[in-house]
Amino acid sequence: MIENLGVPFQYDYMLKAMWVSALIGGVCGLLSCFVTLKGWSLMGDALSHAVVPGVAIAYLLGAPFALGAFISGLLAALGMGFVKARTSLREDAVIGVVFTTFFAFGVLLISLFPAGISLRTIVFGNILGISNPDVVQVAIISAVTLLVLALKWKDLVLFCFDPQQARTLGLNPMVLHFTLLTLLAATAVASMQTVGACLVVATLVTPGATAYLLTDRFSRMLAIAGGIGVGTSFLGAYASYFLDGSTGGCIVVLQTLLFLTALTFGPKHGLLASRAKRRLALEGKFA
Amino acid sequence: MMNTSAPALPAIDVSVEAVTVTYNNGNVAIHDATFRLESGTICALVGINGSGKSTLFKAIMGFLTPAKGRVRVGGEPIRVAQKRNWVAYVPQTEEVDWSFPVSVWDVVLMGRYGYMNFLRIPRAADKRIADESLRRVEMWEFRDRQIGELSGGQKKRVFLARALAQQGRVILLDEPFTGVDVKTEAAIVALLRELRDSGHIILVSTHDLGSVPEFCDQAVIINRTVLAFGSLAEVFTEANLSMAFGGALRQFRFAESTVQKHDGRAVTVLSDDERPLVFGKDGHLEFSQRAGREAIVHARAETEDDQ
Repeated sequence: MIENLGVPFQYDYMLKAMWVSALIGGVCGLLSCFVTLKGWSLMGDALSHAVVPGVAIAYLLGAPFALGAFISGLLAALGMGFVKARTSLREDAVIGVVFTTFFAFGVLLISLFPAGISLRTIVFGNILGISNPDVVQVAIISAVTLLVLALKWKDLVLFCFDPQQARTLGLNPMVLHFTLLTLLAATAVASMQTVGACLVVATLVTPGATAYLLTDRFSRMLAIAGGIGVGTSFLGAYASYFLDGSTGGCIVVLQTLLFLTALTFGPKHGLLASRAKRRLALEGKFA
Repeated sequence: MMNTSAPALPAIDVSVEAVTVTYNNGNVAIHDATFRLESGTICALVGINGSGKSTLFKAIMGFLTPAKGRVRVGGEPIRVAQKRNWVAYVPQTEEVDWSFPVSVWDVVLMGRYGYMNFLRIPRAADKRIADESLRRVEMWEFRDRQIGELSGGQKKRVFLARALAQQGRVILLDEPFTGVDVKTEAAIVALLRELRDSGHIILVSTHDLGSVPEFCDQAVIINRTVLAFGSLAEVFTEANLSMAFGGALRQFRFAESTVQKHDGRAVTVLSDDERPLVFGKDGHLEFSQRAGREAIVHARAETEDDQ
C-alpha cells in the first residue's frame, strides 16, 4: 500500500504533469489575488474562453499556441473595450456577448479542422499528455509573469486599491491596467493546459478568494494564494493518477474544499467567527 | 492635536486658465473656468452636484485633459507636478474600497511611492516620514489595523496622513467632513490651518456650505463655470450662492418664519447641511413658513403677553 503511493513518481509523464501543474497553479494563485480584489473574475472567465480560437488557429498553422492565444485574447479585450465605449450596454452583457462569440468561433474551427487539436483537450485540459514544446511555452509564460509580479506587485496593488492615487503619483493607470490584463491572458493560456478552458477561471479566482477570507494583509494573501495554487495543483495531478479522473477536476475540487474550509473556519471572516462575534456582541449588550 | 509647525516652504501656485472640459458625448462639463491660487490659502470649491466640481478637481489632478485652456502647478504642466509629488489628494470616503486587505501603515506608505525606487522598497527616510505623518494625525497607534476597522473620522485621518507623507504642496480634499465626527473635524481644520501657514495650497471641494466660513480663506463658486472667485468675505454672498445653487439651496428666512420678536436672540438652529431645524426661546419648534400657522403664532404671542 505504502509503496503504491510512490508509483506516480516513477513515471516521467506523471512527474512532468505534477511539476508543470504546480508551477501554473502557483502563478495563477498569485494572480488570483489581483483578480478578486480588482473584481475581474468575469474578465478572467471571458479571457480564458476567448483564447480558444487563437489556440485552434495556432495548432492548425503549427505556430506556438501561446502566440495564437495571446493575439486572440487581445482581440477579445479590444472588442469588449470597443463595444463598451460605443454602446450603453452594461459591462457584463458586453463581456458575455464578446467571449461567447470568440468561444463559438473556436469550437467551430476545431470541429471543421479536427486534425489540429481535439476540442476535449482545449475544454478540459490534458496535462498528462502535454508535449515538451508546450511545457517550454508554459514555463516561459510562468517565468515572465513571476518576474513582472516580483518587480511590480506594489504598483499593481496600488492600481487595484486606488487608481487615482496611482495617477497623482505620476504612474500611468492605463499601463498598469494592460499589464494586469496581459498577465491574466497569458496565465489563462498556461492554465488551459492543466485544467482546460472551462475551469481556468476557478484557478484564477478560488485561491485568491480563499486567501482573502484568511488574512487582511495583501502580502500574506499573496503567500497563501500562491501556496494554495501550488499545493492543490500538485496534489490534484498526483491524485488524478489514482482516481484515473480529470486532472483539472481534481485540482479545482481540492481548491473548492479549501475555500469551503476557509469560509467556515476563517479566523476573522469565517462563518463560525462571525457567529461567535454576533453572540459576543449580544451578550455584551444584554448581560 | 497637531502642534508641530513646519518652516515656510518656497512659494507655489495653482493656475486654472480658461479651462473647458467636454464629455465624450459632446456635453460641456465646465466652460472657460479661470482662477489662480497662491501659497498659503485654504480655498473652498463650492457648487451643487453636477456643477462640475469633481470635473474641475480631476482637471487639476491631471486625470482628464481640458479640451481648451490649461492647468499649471508651480508654472509646470500637471505631468511634471505629479512626478515631483506636488499634488496630493484625499479621496471621498465612498470612493475607497474599505474591505481591501491593506493596513493603515500600508496606505500611508503609498504616499511615498513617488520617492521610492522602481521596486517601491521603502528606505529609512520614507518610513520616518510615514511615521511622523501618522503621529501628526494621531493615528500612529492604529498603524497595524486593517483600514475597514476604523471609524469615519479615523479613515479620513489616515488618508490625510497619506497626503502628508507624500509631502504635496497642493492638497486637494473631496468632501473631507462627510461622515466625520465634530472632534475630528476640528482636528482636521487645525491641521489644514497649519499646512496653510507653512505655505501649502489647500483646495476643498464641498457642498457643506455651513462649514466653509469656519475655515476657508477663499472660495471658488462654480456652476459649469466659475461664477465667483476671491476672498471669502467678497464672494460668499447670498447673491452668489443663490446664483450657484438656485432652487437647490435650502433656506430659512426668519422674517417669513414663525420665529417672533420675543424669541430674541435665543433661537437655536440645528442643521446637518440639509434643511435646518429651528427651536424658539422656550424650546418650541419653529416653522419656516408663517402662512397657515397664524394660530400658533397668535397663541405664543398671548403667552408672551401674559408674562
